[in-house]
Amino acid sequence: METVKLMRELIANFEQERNYLPKETGLSLIESTGENDSRGISAKCRDTKVEDLWSLTSFFGYSTQTFVLAVNLLDRFLAMMKVQPKHLACISISCLHIAAKAVEEERNVSSTNELIRISQCKFTVSDLTRMEKIISEKLNFQLKTITALTFLHLYHGIARSHTADRKEALNLDTLEAQLKACLCRIAFSKAKPSVLALSLLTQEIEATQCVDMLEIAHHVQRHLKIADVELLHWRGLVAKCMSDYSSPECSRPNNKKLVWIVSRRTAQNLHTSHCSVPELPTIPEDCWDESESEDSCEDMSSGEESLSSSLGSDADGPYFPLNFLCQRYRNKYHHTS
Amino acid sequence: MSSAATTPPSVDKVDGFSRKSVRKAKQKRSQSSSQFRSQGKPIELTPLPLLKDVPAPEQPELFLKKLQQCCTVFDFMDTLSDLKMKEYKRSTLNELVDYVTVSRGYLTEQAYPEVVKMVSYNIFRTLPPSDSNEFDPEEDEPTLEASWPHLQLVYEFFIRFLESQEFQPSIAKKYIDQKFVLQLLELFDSEDPRERDYLKTVLHRIYGKFLGLRAFIRKQINNIFLRFVYETEHFNGVAELLEILGSIINGFALPLKAEHKQFLVKVLIPLHTVRSLSLFHAQLAYCIVQFLEKDPALTEPVIRGLLKFWPKTCSQKEVMYLGELEEILDVIEPTQFVKIQEPLFKQISRCVSSPHFQVAERALYYWNNEYIMSLIEENSSVILPIMFASLYRISKEHWNPAIVALVYNVLKAFMEMNSTLFDELTATYKSDRQREKKKEKEREELWKKLGDLELKRGLRSDGIIPT
Repeated sequence: METVKLMRELIANFEQERNYLPKETGLSLIESTGENDSRGISAKCRDTKVEDLWSLTSFFGYSTQTFVLAVNLLDRFLAMMKVQPKHLACISISCLHIAAKAVEEERNVSSTNELIRISQCKFTVSDLTRMEKIISEKLNFQLKTITALTFLHLYHGIARSHTADRKEALNLDTLEAQLKACLCRIAFSKAKPSVLALSLLTQEIEATQCVDMLEIAHHVQRHLKIADVELLHWRGLVAKCMSDYSSPECSRPNNKKLVWIVSRRTAQNLHTSHCSVPELPTIPEDCWDESESEDSCEDMSSGEESLSSSLGSDADGPYFPLNFLCQRYRNKYHHTS
Repeated sequence: MSSAATTPPSVDKVDGFSRKSVRKAKQKRSQSSSQFRSQGKPIELTPLPLLKDVPAPEQPELFLKKLQQCCTVFDFMDTLSDLKMKEYKRSTLNELVDYVTVSRGYLTEQAYPEVVKMVSYNIFRTLPPSDSNEFDPEEDEPTLEASWPHLQLVYEFFIRFLESQEFQPSIAKKYIDQKFVLQLLELFDSEDPRERDYLKTVLHRIYGKFLGLRAFIRKQINNIFLRFVYETEHFNGVAELLEILGSIINGFALPLKAEHKQFLVKVLIPLHTVRSLSLFHAQLAYCIVQFLEKDPALTEPVIRGLLKFWPKTCSQKEVMYLGELEEILDVIEPTQFVKIQEPLFKQISRCVSSPHFQVAERALYYWNNEYIMSLIEENSSVILPIMFASLYRISKEHWNPAIVALVYNVLKAFMEMNSTLFDELTATYKSDRQREKKKEKEREELWKKLGDLELKRGLRSDGIIPT
C-alpha cells in the first residue's frame, strides 16, 4: 500500500534529518550579532540575503527545492564559519548555484555570468567558483540534504492517500510558499525539518478547516513521536509568520538598493522631458470683460483670478504680474476695456 | 524669383534607400522671399533727420513720416539692388525701435493707424512655397526669410510698441482687429523659426491686451489645428501656437468652461496622432498637464484618449507617449488613478514586452518613479496580475540583456510589495505553462499517430506510399 511505503520513507528521513541541521550555537551567534557589527553576520543581514535568494529563485524559474536547499547550505555554512558581511553576497549566490546544479536540469541552470549580472553583485566569476569549492568542502559535499520540504511532500502524499475523495484539499503550492516565507527568518532554521513541516501542515489544516486531515496529522505526529510541547512552540511562531506574510500591508520596497541602468538614448530622453520650462508668462482668464466679444461666456464665475488684463506693463518687471497685487489696478483700468 | 536650390543628384532614382538628409547636406541654407518688385526705377527715399536731433513738439510728426517711409518694401532676393536705400530703411527701423522703447508722450492717436499700416505692409505677405515638395521638418534645414534684416526690426518694433507704457488697447482695437489677427495667424506657417518666435510673442501680447479678440483667436487656432490634423498635416507653427496656449491654459479660471474642455478632447488629444509629433510634443505635453492640474476630473478622458490613439507602428512616438504619460502620472490624484489603472497597465504591459528595447526600457523605468511606485503599491492587487504574465515571460525571452536586468528590478519590487499575491500568480503561471506544454505534447503525438495511420493504410492497399 502506498501509505505504508510513504510511512517507511518518513521514518527513514526522520532518522537522518539531524545530520543536516545547522549548528545551533552558530545560529544563536548570528541572532545575537548586532546589525552594524562588521565582524559578523547579523540575523537581519542573513534574512535580507535569503529574501534576495528567493527573488532570484523566482526570477530564474528554479524550483522550491533549489531554494530550500540553498538556504540549508547557507545556514549550515554560516553556522560553522565566522564570515564577514562583505562576503555574504558571494556566499549566498554560491549556495544558490550549487543547489541549482544539484536539483535542476542542466539546461535550466543559468550561467554564473547571468547570475552575477542580474543580482547586481560586485564579485567575479572566478570568485564565485572558488567560493563554491570552499563551501562544498566545508560541508563535506553533503549537498543533497533532507529539508522541511522533503517532509512536506511526504506529509502531503500521506494526507492525499488517506482522503476519501481525490480532490486536493491541501494545496501543496500554498504550503511550499509558506515554507519559503518561514525560511526567510533565521529563527526557523533552528527547527527540526520534520517538526517545521508538521507545524505548517497543521496550521494550514486549521486555516482551511479540513477536519479529516487533522486526524492524519495527529497520526503522523504520534508515529514520529513528536512532543506536543515542541509542536505547539513552532506552530506559534509559524502562525505569527503567516499573519505577517499574508497581511494586506505592503512593505515599502527598497528601490534604492537596486541599480537602474538605462541606455544612453533613453537617459537623454528622460533629461529633456523634464526641462520644458515655459517662457511665456501666464495670461489670466477674465470672464467679465469678454462680454464684448461675439461669444460671451455662459457662466459668470466670480473669477478669483479676475485680474484685469488691460494693464499697461512695465518695461522692466514681469509682463503680466501673477500675484494679486494687481487688484488695485483693476479699478483704475476697468473702464478702458 | 526662385531660391538658390541645388538640384538633387540623380542617384535618387536608382537607390531607393538614400537618406534625404545626406542629399541635402551639400545644399547650403537656402533663402526665399515673396517680396519682389517689378523692374522699374530704383526706389528713392528722402533721408529724414534723426528724431533725437529734432525738438520734442516736432517729434510726433517726424515719427509718422518715418513710419510712412518704412512702408516701402525692398526685394532681398536681388542682392545688388537698392543697397543704399535698404541700409537707410534698416537704420530708420532701428531708430524707431529705440524711440518706442524709451520715449514718453510720442504716441498720439494718429500714430496707431500708421504703425499698424507699416507693420502690415512689411510682414503680411503670401509665404513663399516650400523649396522642395517633401520638406521634412525633422530632417531638413528650413528655408529662411531673405528680408530678415528688415523684418526682424519690424517685429521688434511692433512688440515694443505693444508693450509700451503708453499703449492703449481701446484706441488700438480699431486697427488691430480680427482681419489683422487672421493674417497674423497665417504667418505662423513660415518656415523661418526666427519669424515664428517673434510672431509667438506678438500674438501672446495681443491675446493678453485685447480681451475682445480672445474668443476669436481661440476659435481660429482651433481651426488651424483641426485643419492640420484632419486635412493637411502641414503647418510649421504648431509648437509656437501651443506655447501660447500653454500660457493661456495656465491662466484659466475655475471651474473650467465647457469650451475649454471641448478643446482638450476634440483638438489637443487628436493632435497626438500626427506624424510630425516630435516637433511639438514637449509643448503639447505641457498643455495637457496644465489642463489636468486645473481640473483633475479630466484625467480619465485624457488617458483614455491617449490609449485610444496609442501608436501601433511608430516606436519613436511610443517613447514620446510613455514620457507624456509619466508626466501625467506625476500629477495624478489617487482617486483618478484608480479609475484608469486597468486599461493603463494593460497598455504598459504591452509596452514592456515590446521587442523594441527603447520602448520596453522607457516603460520599465516607471518603476523608478517614487510617486508612481506608491500608487502601484496601494493598488498592487489589481496591477500585479495584469503585469505579471508579460514580465515573467520577457524575463525568459527578451533578446536584450539590459531589459532582462530591469525586469528583475521590477519583479523584485512586486515581490516585496505583495508576496502572497506574487506567489499565487507564480504558481498559476507555472501550472498554466505546464498544461500548455502537455497539450502541445499531446497534439504532437496525435499528429504522429495520424501520420503512422496514413502510412499503414497506404502500404496495405497497393504497396505504394501515398504522397
